[in-house]
Amino acid sequence: MKNLIPYFTLGYPDNETLSHFLDLIPVDKINYIEFGFPSNDPRYDGPVIRKTHNVGNINFSDDFYKKYFDYFHKNHVKMYSLSYYSDIKARFDDFIDYLQKRNFSGIIIPDLIIDYYSEGKEIINKLNDRGFEYIPFFSPSTPDSIIKNVSSMTKSWIYYGLQPSTGIDIPYELDYTTERINELLPGREITYGFGIKTDDDIRNLMKNGGSGVAIGTYLIKMTEAGDENGFIDYINKMRGVLDE
Amino acid sequence: MITAMNKEIIPDNWYNVVPDLPEPLAPPRDSKSDISSINLLNKILPKEVLKQEFTFKRYEKIPDEVMEAYEQIGRPTPLIRAKNLEKKLGYSGKIYYKYEGATATGSHKINTAIPQAYYAMKEGVKGVTTETGAGQWGSATALAASLYGLPSQIFMVKISFEQKPLRKTVMNLYNGNVVASPSTLTAYGRKILKEHPDTPGTLGIGISEAVEYALDNDYRYMVASVMNVSLTHQSVIGQETKKQLELIGEHADVLIGCVGGGSNFGGFTFPFIPDGDDTEIIATTANEVPKFSKGDYKYDLMDSAGILPQVRMYSLGADFVPPTIYAGGLRYHGASPSLSLLINKGRIKSDEVTEEEVKEALRTFANTQGIIAAPESGHAIASAIKYVKAHINEKKTIVVNVSGHGYLDLSIFGEKK
Ligand SMILES: Cc1ncc(COP(=O)(O)O)c(C=O)c1O
Repeated sequence: MKNLIPYFTLGYPDNETLSHFLDLIPVDKINYIEFGFPSNDPRYDGPVIRKTHNVGNINFSDDFYKKYFDYFHKNHVKMYSLSYYSDIKARFDDFIDYLQKRNFSGIIIPDLIIDYYSEGKEIINKLNDRGFEYIPFFSPSTPDSIIKNVSSMTKSWIYYGLQPSTGIDIPYELDYTTERINELLPGREITYGFGIKTDDDIRNLMKNGGSGVAIGTYLIKMTEAGDENGFIDYINKMRGVLDE
Repeated sequence: MITAMNKEIIPDNWYNVVPDLPEPLAPPRDSKSDISSINLLNKILPKEVLKQEFTFKRYEKIPDEVMEAYEQIGRPTPLIRAKNLEKKLGYSGKIYYKYEGATATGSHKINTAIPQAYYAMKEGVKGVTTETGAGQWGSATALAASLYGLPSQIFMVKISFEQKPLRKTVMNLYNGNVVASPSTLTAYGRKILKEHPDTPGTLGIGISEAVEYALDNDYRYMVASVMNVSLTHQSVIGQETKKQLELIGEHADVLIGCVGGGSNFGGFTFPFIPDGDDTEIIATTANEVPKFSKGDYKYDLMDSAGILPQVRMYSLGADFVPPTIYAGGLRYHGASPSLSLLINKGRIKSDEVTEEEVKEALRTFANTQGIIAAPESGHAIASAIKYVKAHINEKKTIVVNVSGHGYLDLSIFGEKK
């Protein structure tokens, strides 16, 4: 099954609303889910998701979400944490302990190889030793050699952000983008994210060998608007496109 | 000795260093919390320019029309061995210089002005606008816009506007409209004029005005430097140099250029980066604008109003008002992110030279090689002379980029020493 990965920042728009939308997710239609742990400095996110972190920071409580983590785990939906290294570095081991206790499968760390490149190798090895997936996160400005090196240290799927940050819309050549990443990482599972909205976006990416898509900004706007029907329809429809 | 001067020297593609950097380039960040200044670029830049700004493509094909225009403005530019200078310095090695002053507008700036104006014209925009320091970029913008039938509005840093009236004449001849910045044409300019009526102006203020003007008038903003796309277009300099060296069987041991925002320097040196570490690369700034030695490597504003995104670069702070030095093009507070990263990682070294060293170097270069170089380029020459003196008995091949001529900057020699 191709990956359909919804993204939510924990605590946004508020705990009740988010939990309500989490209840609505048809769990048989998704295999992975990505939870943003609210950051004090979501530096590589665009305005929409930046705001979710600021609000989430005030609202997030583990007590509240514990039952959802259990729920997705029981339903065989693999959970991934999106966390900024700048937030977790002081308590890194404790945080990974916590994620493992909550049955998360792995972590995406958007600032690790950009801002903490020299620490990157050690962190990745540590996660490998603990049997916790490090999901390499690349973007258009990641140099070829880094894409190869970091990928070779891991076995998991790759998260490729199509835009320089979330929720923005810079023109790019889709065919060239997928060609380059396939050439650099032959046979590797590549999941695309950032700025994906329409079924055509998804179709084109899958046609070019993509293994899935992550959708954030677009779903978050639906939770903000309280658009429950739109939300369910959208997930069902995107699942359909991925299964074509 | 003009080593080669034919069309085959011009590369078919521009070269982009981003996929070959040793570490990931930090992405641009929004300058304001509520709006996306990155998304705003969609309204400011021609689509194709924006695409090239964020591309990881190593090579981008130069459109045929741009190639044709490159030939028309004098590309390829000559690579010349400075034998008289070698003799004068008593150097055992060789010194070559790439002469961008030989282009129609007299500096490297035309290399990126042409494609940017071309893409703007293709997209059917109303006109183009930009800032200029010493006037080299404004001249290139005015000519490129005029070649493609577009009006241009140029904001010239006030101190240069006053010191170099002939520059205005040049831009007017190329059909450009020029005002002193800060100006009354924009809200930001009016605000600065009210708060600091005597300001000499800065490139940061000029950029802010041009960007505001573009947004208000459905013009597109022309990127002089700093942003990746301008360095990519300037890669014609370095690629030509490589080919010219190859044709005469030379290997560059040392490359030296001057840095304002980094466009001539990046364009000249980056094509050598994928070849490995055996070419020493030196980036020279003005002593008065010591961004690499005294600046911080951090996220900072490109323009003082904070309309454009922040980028991670060496910066003296967007509010830094440099002394009103003789080399207007080097007064910018920061330097291109890719260049900053390569300096931070130690792949590229930096040097600073004083006004006295620069004037001396310009004199020496004029009376040995006959070329009156731009004051900005004088920094590269001064730095090369320093290098030669420190390695006088080594047999290295040094290549210097002389980014422009200085015929409109002669006032700096007003008083004979
Ligand atoms: C002749 C010349 N050289 C160099 C520069 C510095 O700019 P950059 O670092 O972008 O090449 C300028 C800028 O105005 C210039 O006019």
